[in-house]
Amino acid sequence: MPEDKTIRLKIKRQDQPDSKAYWEEFDLPHKPRANVISCLMDIQMNPVTRQEKTVTPVVWESNCLEEVCGSCTMIINGKVRQACTALIDALPQPIVLEPLTKFPIVRDLQVDRTRMFENLKKVKAWIHIDGTYNIGEGPVIPEKQRAKAYLLSECMTCGCCLEACPQFTKNNNFVGASTISQVRLFNMHPTGAMESEERLETIMGDGGIADCGNAQVCVEVCPKKIPLTESIAEIGRETTLQLLKNLFLK
Amino acid sequence: MGSITKGQAHFLLLKIHSLTGLVPIGLFLTFHLLVNSLRTVGVLPYQWSIDVINNLPFLIWIEIFFIYIPLLFHSFMGFYITQVAKMNAIRYRYPRNWMYVMQRLTGAVVFVFLIYHMGTTVVPKIWNGHHLFEAAPFLIEVMNQEFATWTGRIIYLVGILSATFHFANGLWAFCISWGIIIGPRAQRNASIVFMLFGGVLTVLGFATVLEFSLHPVDVEPTLKGAF
Repeated sequence: MPEDKTIRLKIKRQDQPDSKAYWEEFDLPHKPRANVISCLMDIQMNPVTRQEKTVTPVVWESNCLEEVCGSCTMIINGKVRQACTALIDALPQPIVLEPLTKFPIVRDLQVDRTRMFENLKKVKAWIHIDGTYNIGEGPVIPEKQRAKAYLLSECMTCGCCLEACPQFTKNNNFVGASTISQVRLFNMHPTGAMESEERLETIMGDGGIADCGNAQVCVEVCPKKIPLTESIAEIGRETTLQLLKNLFLK
Repeated sequence: MGSITKGQAHFLLLKIHSLTGLVPIGLFLTFHLLVNSLRTVGVLPYQWSIDVINNLPFLIWIEIFFIYIPLLFHSFMGFYITQVAKMNAIRYRYPRNWMYVMQRLTGAVVFVFLIYHMGTTVVPKIWNGHHLFEAAPFLIEVMNQEFATWTGRIIYLVGILSATFHFANGLWAFCISWGIIIGPRAQRNASIVFMLFGGVLTVLGFATVLEFSLHPVDVEPTLKGAF
């Protein structure tokens, strides 16, 4: 890499949740092994655009810097991904940064992803622990099942699958692939299975499993390579069985 | 089950949408293309098949409850589903995403095609009161005229191809939606099988169009009591 090489970042900015978005370009000196986050940090230290205009620093979210928390998810060169693992040397210039489009914007690259967490709450994406009484120890989980569950548990609720999903929009209630996959994860856990029917009943409602359109972009963009389409089909089976149960057994 | 909540109704409507695509609409499409392909064997077997259908008891009720209502329901739910979604295949160029777009596009094409198709066949048939044994000669004459021009042929080729693709790809989505096929390999294999099936249906339809276009035969009235 030549020493004098510069990096150009083109960033979509927005000052207020409901104000108009605008573009700004920043030129930065090339640093070896830089990623999008380190470039945003450089801009924060010296927020001067390509036109030599001093502006407010760009706002973004990040936390773990190792692609396990999902908070730095944004659209980089047109594709949704994490900024921390977007290495500058591997990206064509100029590097275009945009906030997620399926969530309300807070400011610049920061969005409000409350909807995802509300959906996890709706489907009870957790294992119940003892309440007023002891529910006892769960059975041993077979190794094959544990390995499968581990894959699903890698979901960091980053929102890539939802951003890329044509069925998930701001004006509908679809919960999206990540939530459906979490229903599968907690339903396959022997203790979590105690609430499986409640989870299925929730997902058999507005914005639930039936809203999936099988475009299967979710599985293509998932940074953790979670078998999301398999989860959707599996929950499709579980909800079909639940539907038959509701129709013929209850 | 007692009363149904709004959310449950939403789920059930989408499930019925998925189901009606297979039963009865998909079955009807298969039956329709298969029976019509009798035209490639000869005009007479084709004419007899139309006679059998038009002499069925309660035909109008069968048509209303097993074709028109499911078809209208499936169409309007389809337009609703398309309208609440936001296609993005330009940005996320994956094969399955294109199929997703094609599924919606072909659905709309078939809807428009069916308005034309019914407007030239069923509507004038009922309007002019051609029932029972009078239907076949009338309909075959209509089809001879339809396939006399390239415009007519292209309309039918596009309509048939859209319908067979929509059904074949829809079968695949049905199997996933109802949890019949689960794993990625099973899904891929199923998509190949269903596309082959769609190919067979397309061949049946195209062969019929070809036969009509190449050998338009003037139709003789079926004798009363031929069956």
